[in-house]
Amino acid sequence: MMISCREITKSYSKGSHLVTPLENLSLEVPRGEFLALMGPSGSGKTTLLNLISGIDTPTSGDLEIDGENIAKFPRKQLTKWRARKVGYIFQLYHLIPVLTALENVELPLLITSMSRKERRRKAEAALEVVGLSDRSHHTPSELSGGQEQRVAIARALVADPALLVADEPTGDLDRESATRILELLRSLARDHEKTIVMVTHDARAAAAADRTLHLEKGKLLTEDPNLVSI
Amino acid sequence: MIALLSLALKQLTRHRLRTSLTVLGVASGMFLFTSVETLQQSLGEATEETASDTTLVVYRENRFCPATSQLPEHYVDEIRSIDGVREVIPIKIIVNNCGASLDVITFRGVPEALLQQFAPEIEIVEGSDAEWKKRDDAALVGEQFAKRRGLKSGDKFDAVGITVHVAGIIRSPFPQDNNVAYVKLDFLQQASRTGLGIVTQFNVRVENSSDLKRVAAAIDERFKSDQQPTNTKPEKAFFAETAGQLIELIGFTRWLGLGAVLAVVGLVANSILLMVRGRVKENAVLRTLGYPSRAIMFLVLSEGGMLGLIGGILGAGLAWAFLRWQSFTMGSEGHTLAILPEVSTALFATAAALVLGIIASVHPALVAIRQPIVKSLRS
Repeated sequence: MMISCREITKSYSKGSHLVTPLENLSLEVPRGEFLALMGPSGSGKTTLLNLISGIDTPTSGDLEIDGENIAKFPRKQLTKWRARKVGYIFQLYHLIPVLTALENVELPLLITSMSRKERRRKAEAALEVVGLSDRSHHTPSELSGGQEQRVAIARALVADPALLVADEPTGDLDRESATRILELLRSLARDHEKTIVMVTHDARAAAAADRTLHLEKGKLLTEDPNLVSI
Repeated sequence: MIALLSLALKQLTRHRLRTSLTVLGVASGMFLFTSVETLQQSLGEATEETASDTTLVVYRENRFCPATSQLPEHYVDEIRSIDGVREVIPIKIIVNNCGASLDVITFRGVPEALLQQFAPEIEIVEGSDAEWKKRDDAALVGEQFAKRRGLKSGDKFDAVGITVHVAGIIRSPFPQDNNVAYVKLDFLQQASRTGLGIVTQFNVRVENSSDLKRVAAAIDERFKSDQQPTNTKPEKAFFAETAGQLIELIGFTRWLGLGAVLAVVGLVANSILLMVRGRVKENAVLRTLGYPSRAIMFLVLSEGGMLGLIGGILGAGLAWAFLRWQSFTMGSEGHTLAILPEVSTALFATAAALVLGIIASVHPALVAIRQPIVKSLRS
């Protein structure tokens, strides 16, 4: 199993109130699955994505990813783990404007001991996977939204993580670009055995996934096609 | 690390105007800092005694200006007879301004035959020794003096009511020699109307620096009861005493230097803090990609360091070039202080700017790594 959440709860203080966006949630995601998380705003889907990607930690419960219980990791270890195991795709791409597509893709590798030549080779390969080899020396301002998102996907892929998390990756794109991005994500799960967890509001995007889970008020409502413990 | 430095440099180009203005501010601060450091270093060289110092200055007791220090020239033979004295030269000094001034013209009248003997390190770089010997009104003009006044060999110039012919341009390892005009003693005595046989001071070279105090005491003792009693001191101590106004003025410039340093720190800190605040989300993205806190800190500190370094190179380089080109000389009581910038001073100022840039970025760097990732991504 790639992801195994057992009764995870996330709560934090907001002023004098205790907010609990996720409560006793359990979930299992097998390796290579493309999972869509849907739900209204405030349902806890992005919180769940943040926990799975290791940029946030649960208040209680176990969160095992690829055999490691990251809920127990200290901050430094979690940072190292993220660099190795997770690729994050943002809704608004978040590319660095002064860097070319190739340099943006290379970013996660700058903190490794890899040689410059090796970094370049891997970044070029990642751009090839997303079909943007011919745009490698363009800056983000010279790319369309769809192309920017594909560069962001290449950046998420370049360190060869087992897990890709995407926060509304098609939320800012037109239909045609969104379709291409979803096809790309599907092919990454199918051909490259990446486990993908995607948060979306768009039912059409969710339809591209292998399975869709619905969240509401911090709890899983349904799953399709297999039921998980709630 | 080099890759991260390259990223930091590229980030600086994002806001060209802000970066340029910050660099300009740092450069202005470091220009001032380098100028102040040059002043301090020049003063230090002129006043701090070293083990190799062997020169004494014999002045009229209780007199501080060349116009009022009048000693009989015949003292020279008696001074020469004192044990430990290697050479003595009587000097008549005429200056255009006895107080502290940035534009001092100093004539030093010396016996023609003794100049080469007393100061063998002087080298004639333009003109000739023959021309100097041939004419009564001949002057050997210090290199910096000539540069400042645009003089060359063969020119005539008039100052303080004295007209001289430039027989040669001289260069000396001692900055004070490069900022005066040497003329013949009897010519200067007559031209200045003080009369033959009267000099301003004697410069005495002793055999060993360890003899300085003993010889100085012996000279003053010898003329204590004479009509013109003397006050003898090592050359640098003499300069430090007579140029008190100048030293006080230069001492004040330390505060200007400190002000420049604080301005640079404030400017870089403000610029980097603005940059960090403008890139909250971007830093959160880098941390999401697995950048550890130390990498984010390194990026922010590098940007501050680069702003400091670029501004430092610009400011210190310009100050060095400007002071070299202008060849400023400060004078007081007839003594000149050549403000000569050293490459080491410019390098020190550049290194200081780099360090200041890094120090100024510590707080913004801490701000950058302390922001929670999730909150920053939502901002």
